[in-house]
Amino acid sequence: MSNPFELMPRQYSPFWLKAVCLISGIAIGLALATTLLMLNGVDFKGIVREFVLYSFISNRGLAQTISTATPLLLVGLASAIVLKLRFWNIGIDGQAWLGAIAASGIAIYDVGDPSFRLLIMACAAIIAGAVWVGVPVFLKMRLGVNEVISTLMLTYVAFLVAQHFLYGDWRDPSTSWPVSVTFDESSERLQRIGFGHVHTGVWIALGCASLVSYLMLAHRFGFFLSAIGLSPKGARASGLPVPIVVILTVLIGGGLCGLAGFVVVAGQEYRLTQYVIHDLTFSAILIAFLARFNPIAVVPVSFLVAGLFTAGETLKAFYQLPLSLILVVQAIILGSVISVEFFSAYRVRIKVSGLLNRQINEEQSRQTSQQ
Amino acid sequence: MAQRNHTTALSLKNVSKSFDQQKALVNANFSVDWGELHALLGENGAGKSTLMNVVCGLYTADDGQICIDGQQLTIPDPQHAGTLGIGMVHQHFKLIESFTVAENVLLSCGDRIGISSIGDISKRAKEAAESIGFSIDVQARISALSVAERQRIEITKLMLLGADILILDEPTAVLTDQEAANVLGLLKRLASQGKAVVLITHRLNEVTEFADHVTVMRSGKTVIDGVPLEGLNRSDLATAMVGEGRDPLESALNQTSSRTAERPRLKLQEVSIKFPAKKHGQERLSFEVFPGEVLGIAGVGGNGQTELTQALIGLIDIESGSITVDQDDLSNASITKRRQHGFRLIPADRAGFALIADLQNFENLALTKVATSDFGGRWWLSRRVMRQNAKALFQSSNIRGGTVNSKTRLLSGGNAQKLLLARELDTEASVLIAHSPTRGLDIRAYSAVHDAIRRAVKNGAACLLISEDLDEVLTLSSRIGVMSREAFHGPFYPSEISRSRIGELMAGHV
Repeated sequence: MSNPFELMPRQYSPFWLKAVCLISGIAIGLALATTLLMLNGVDFKGIVREFVLYSFISNRGLAQTISTATPLLLVGLASAIVLKLRFWNIGIDGQAWLGAIAASGIAIYDVGDPSFRLLIMACAAIIAGAVWVGVPVFLKMRLGVNEVISTLMLTYVAFLVAQHFLYGDWRDPSTSWPVSVTFDESSERLQRIGFGHVHTGVWIALGCASLVSYLMLAHRFGFFLSAIGLSPKGARASGLPVPIVVILTVLIGGGLCGLAGFVVVAGQEYRLTQYVIHDLTFSAILIAFLARFNPIAVVPVSFLVAGLFTAGETLKAFYQLPLSLILVVQAIILGSVISVEFFSAYRVRIKVSGLLNRQINEEQSRQTSQQ
Repeated sequence: MAQRNHTTALSLKNVSKSFDQQKALVNANFSVDWGELHALLGENGAGKSTLMNVVCGLYTADDGQICIDGQQLTIPDPQHAGTLGIGMVHQHFKLIESFTVAENVLLSCGDRIGISSIGDISKRAKEAAESIGFSIDVQARISALSVAERQRIEITKLMLLGADILILDEPTAVLTDQEAANVLGLLKRLASQGKAVVLITHRLNEVTEFADHVTVMRSGKTVIDGVPLEGLNRSDLATAMVGEGRDPLESALNQTSSRTAERPRLKLQEVSIKFPAKKHGQERLSFEVFPGEVLGIAGVGGNGQTELTQALIGLIDIESGSITVDQDDLSNASITKRRQHGFRLIPADRAGFALIADLQNFENLALTKVATSDFGGRWWLSRRVMRQNAKALFQSSNIRGGTVNSKTRLLSGGNAQKLLLARELDTEASVLIAHSPTRGLDIRAYSAVHDAIRRAVKNGAACLLISEDLDEVLTLSSRIGVMSREAFHGPFYPSEISRSRIGELMAGHV
């Protein structure tokens, strides 16, 4: 009885409370992150300059942020839909790797007519990403294999596949570095749209966001998805097509991740290297959580998270801080948002156990005084 | 048995408790003497279980006093309640499904009675069970046991712990007449040995037949406080339970259903079902259900009722035989296909197999019809139409305690069941499979469910009612079958079989 607090699950948590919790969670996270950065020698002015002014307002920074946001938007969408289904895809990097590898393969071997080359690359990337997550979903549905392990492990396999090609057939013969040849400029690259590095991939990502939003919010598919996510048994007994929805959703998620890989190699790097895909999984899960699995909300959230990366790049350049510090910042924000969410689910009271004892004491003293 | 100083075993005075501003108990009083069987009667949500959970240390009261054997004290947790000799069998058993009986008993009693080996605890548990007339299989896994068998394990646990104040929360809700009588007889015997026994129930029969005293609760308050049963009749109790101005027994006066067509709607031929968790199964079931009639299937729970409902709706496959509806063979059809043929399901496990607790009410009301494009079309899902439809159903079915936009989790059991009936009993319902549709519901919800079933049958549905509540089966059915562990008997017309004969068949006396 030493714990003076009493927790009580709320019968109902109103919208304003959820909103307050989300906003204060982000605020607390940002405050903690600011403290961390200041401890690492970045002054407060510098933080405001890099994180707000540069990342979101200056032309160069904004262009950088949008171009970083492009693949993040795709993987954020992927994460939002599969997490709604309670399918824990931890292998987003792996599926993006496969997308990048497939797109690069099409470019390197010049498959198909040059005027359709980009389209073929995109399709190959989608299929490769879907196949890569298809294995875990098949294993889960047939044999009950936990998807957390299988998707995570396949990420390492995907990276090794990339290394296999880069140290093998795809090594650039002119330099012997483990990178592929660069893609053909006219037919194998996503064109810039005239704003810094921003390329047409951003339209692809926004198009996917609209499509996924339609599916989730205005089509029965999204309704099935949320019902199945909440109770697979109940959904099945109600006659919903559970296996089809599960498989389709997970494959769509994998396809979006593959497409993210395509966007990175065809829009930013113009070739396959060992470093094209990194740290997408964590950001994707962060984005999905912060967006409350709502595909429309994924758009602004991935933009904001991309801003963190832009700021991270300049911190790296000007303050010699490692980029992984930005992952720590993300983790702090996610952690504090989830922690504060607790208050929208529970009511905390200071325990009244003393009350009962006090009354008993009063009662007893009254009885003794009567005697 | 411990030294007793006082005639009153347990007394509660002015106990209040609220959950997140919802008042569950308002100055509730209760007392039970040593050596009596005391009934605690009330509708669902009246506060009976909450009050007893305060006694067994699961909840701490906000206010009020507790006396055990004349001594005023606080009960901070269930362990402390145990040392005071208080033992409770909860309505939802506290057993770990993947453990065996012996492991469960060891887990909850081992420390307190100083036993740490499976062998010893098995022996002691068997002895304890035998001393009160049960035989239990200590090596069986809980998941393979029926509800009735699980209850026996819970009672055995209390015996092992030597509890003197026994509290049973709706112990007969899941039992047949005979089993219920057995358990109540046992409780009566334990009381006569000097224990204080509290029976939480909402069944009037049990109170009038078995209890010494009765306390009635309504809306968190004590309305009848520990009155002897002499001089009280059923209608007094019923009125105290539900309040003035309503006749809770009105639904008991009704006509039985009757078939309205010559051809059977649902036909089972030689259907065999295997039970995943058990070695045996139901072999070669054959019966027909006609439009406009209720075929009631009585029987103790755990003899294949759940499996039969699941096989009928298509959740599990049948081993052999055929299921036909209006001459269409649906033996291997998908759930969706069966639903298109008018199959509707009221499962015993409403939360697991029918309603999705975290969806909003209008979503649950539309759940089974979204696939049939009643709301929008192939390319568009109209939540506006879903809400409109839900609002109409809320009105017509008198669903209370929520709006179409609130979550189904927040509805009480009775209202959730009304919601489910409103969804399942639409105009296209042709085969209704209802499994224990009133289990755990209060009198008002009980009659609302029965009225809905009668209405559906009147509109031409064929209803298969599978229930462990024999009164319910007898009230609604035009023909009655009995499912026992060994076999399926009947169906019989009511004129062909007596209540006691049904009881014998249920208990396996052929």
